[in-house]
Amino acid sequence: MLLNYIKIAWKVLLRHPFYTFITLFGISITLTVLMMITSFLDHLVGSHYPEQNRDKSLYIMNLFLEDSARTSQMGGPISYDFYKKYIETLKTPKRTSVSSMITSANSYINGKRIKVSTKYCDTNFWEITNYEFLEGKPFNQTNIANGDHVVVITDAMREQFFDSSSESVIGKMVEVDNEKYKVIGVVKAGPVTRILTFSDMFFPYNLPKSNYQRTGLQGTFVAIIEANSSSDFPEIKSEFDNNVSKIPVPINIGNTKYTIIDTHAQTYTDTMLYGVFHQEIGNKFYIVVGLVLLMLMGLPAINLVNLNVSRILERASEIGVRKAFGAPTRTLAFQFIVENIFITFIGGAIALIITSVGIYLFNRSGLILYSDLTINLPVFGVSLLVCLVFGLLSGVAPAFRMAKMKVIDALKRQ
Amino acid sequence: MIQHLIKLIWNRKGSHLLLIIEIWASFMVLFGVMSLVTFNLDNYRESLGFEYEQVWAIDLSRNQDTVQTAEKLAQVLQRIKAYPEVEKVSQMSSNSPFSFSQMNSSISRKKTSTLSDIYYTDENFEDVFDIKMKSGRWYQSSDSVAKNKPVVINQKTADALFGTENPIGKTLDDNKVVVGVIDNFKAKGEFTKNEPAFFQLMWPRSEEGKIVLKLKSGTDANFEAKLVKDLGSMLVGWTVEVSYLTDQRQNQHNLALVPMIVFTIIAGFLLLNVAMGLFGILKVNIAKRREEIGVRRAMGATETDIQKQFVAEMWVIATFAILVGLLFAVQFPTLKVFDLASGVYWVAIVLAILIIYGLVTICAFYPSRQAAKIQPAIVLHES
Repeated sequence: MLLNYIKIAWKVLLRHPFYTFITLFGISITLTVLMMITSFLDHLVGSHYPEQNRDKSLYIMNLFLEDSARTSQMGGPISYDFYKKYIETLKTPKRTSVSSMITSANSYINGKRIKVSTKYCDTNFWEITNYEFLEGKPFNQTNIANGDHVVVITDAMREQFFDSSSESVIGKMVEVDNEKYKVIGVVKAGPVTRILTFSDMFFPYNLPKSNYQRTGLQGTFVAIIEANSSSDFPEIKSEFDNNVSKIPVPINIGNTKYTIIDTHAQTYTDTMLYGVFHQEIGNKFYIVVGLVLLMLMGLPAINLVNLNVSRILERASEIGVRKAFGAPTRTLAFQFIVENIFITFIGGAIALIITSVGIYLFNRSGLILYSDLTINLPVFGVSLLVCLVFGLLSGVAPAFRMAKMKVIDALKRQ
Repeated sequence: MIQHLIKLIWNRKGSHLLLIIEIWASFMVLFGVMSLVTFNLDNYRESLGFEYEQVWAIDLSRNQDTVQTAEKLAQVLQRIKAYPEVEKVSQMSSNSPFSFSQMNSSISRKKTSTLSDIYYTDENFEDVFDIKMKSGRWYQSSDSVAKNKPVVINQKTADALFGTENPIGKTLDDNKVVVGVIDNFKAKGEFTKNEPAFFQLMWPRSEEGKIVLKLKSGTDANFEAKLVKDLGSMLVGWTVEVSYLTDQRQNQHNLALVPMIVFTIIAGFLLLNVAMGLFGILKVNIAKRREEIGVRRAMGATETDIQKQFVAEMWVIATFAILVGLLFAVQFPTLKVFDLASGVYWVAIVLAILIIYGLVTICAFYPSRQAAKIQPAIVLHES
């Protein structure tokens, strides 16, 4: 019976290729847009290479100083000194790490300029992130203690700096910003959108150019705190807040007395949004994103409802005949439900193909360096479900009305 | 005629309600996208106010070096000037044009004040960027000894602080005196707003910041490598980074263009979707009204009359939807949402209305022509 319904649905689809096209186009484009947006958001905030621990990590990126009247404000990353005193001493976290905000430098090879992103980090950075070492190893405490000029580069940089011969580049020298460094490791590059861990080259934090000796609370560094599990977050946050509250105020910079130190250990999304909105956003962000997506979905959904409502009369004679032969309302409604599910799944399949191609092209395009967008299957499921609901709403409500029609009226229509 | 059309639509309000909602939603999406597009294009029309093509910026950071940094920097400037490839050179604060660094402060005079971008530059800035003076002159290094520090402002700052007065020679609240006025200065690229700008003599020369230099045409990366090597040997332990302003401009442009392109593509797909849907709905609806068309034709209505009726019906429906949409849209210019000039919103509203009417007309045209071709004899016979 189910097979019969699907056969009928298929014939109905073929009867009016134009309407079929409109319906499928609507469903598949809507799903595609939804999936592209959500996979992009997932790319931005989800836990992916090299930050697979993101969901159990807290970040301390910004430190704002404000005067008591809240008229003057100074914001920026934290200093190494601040990390050493108030973050490394935290007891609850599994481990903490410090790394500089990404800076850039130039390198010249055979009259060609290579723009290199540089980051200075400690040894824990390699524990907290999941960078995959293709060659060599990260620098260790001995390198740091000796002040070695060593560097970990990405595979992309290996291609730029060295001939693509297969021999190992470990131990070779690279010259960046007029200084020579010895390559001790090669990692697989991560996407540029993970701004707290992305870089082309990683240097030990205690090289002079990292400015780690700078005093004061603000500097160029960011701390990543890995917790044993996300349930430890409140404890870590309060421990950190407690540490910060011990910093003596006011702090005099220039002619301004700063009395408020505003810095928090936050999850990744909160950290990124805090710099923009300057308040904890949390779930509000997702609500706004959800509303925007709903708006995007809404338009094609209304369109679909509209079209189905207009077209349902086409089936009047069919309904009439089936009712005359004794089909109950329930059976007819069930048939229309199956039909709608069938169409939605075809649309979903098309959307899946378009999205895969779109994401593949996007990753290849280099719009975002080394991007690794993937189709988010849970998201695909949810979008499919939403589409199904709209499809059912648009198909079933009129179908029920039709199914309840008097046989004589339905037959008379044609 | 219109009254009659409205009556016709009112009689079928149930099925038209969904249509109105659909067109209303399209209008809102269009209004949003058009606001973004208008804002960007409106900015693009205004000239940049400076030349950047042959200009490089060298970002210098002294890191932990504290020994005679000012002297080293003076030597470096002399050295750069001496290269035959270099035409002009100037030192300025880190917020060079197209960079992502920004500095602003409130400038006040008597009771008026304006938030303005502040640039500390030396006397050669004007030459490197080929800035045309609107009135007055650029400050000179000799001005550093003057009692009132000289500043140059752009027209936007002049408008905000002086209105119609001539600002040349007037002093500001902190005893700085305006010696020159320039026209636009859109430091973050063509797609940004022309913001108030304020230039002040960098004195004493800062130990950090940027060196901007204009090169003779035909200079390539080989010179760049040589320059960086030379500077590296003079400034041991410093960070030296060269960027081309043309590249930095491209980055700034992408910042404005990428969202615009993404939203336009999404809106384009949505509208295509809506257009095809409308087309289908109209086709079905018109097919349902064959009898009515037959009667009208039999009573002497011409093909054009029929066609006009259906297109006009769609227009009336679209007008209803747009009126509802306007209730929402006019809030934006009146409440100055997102701090945009209200003109941008009005233009966006007009554009959105035009596109909606265009879309509706195109969608209604073909089905209504088919309807007009209906032969009264056949239809009336069928029923």
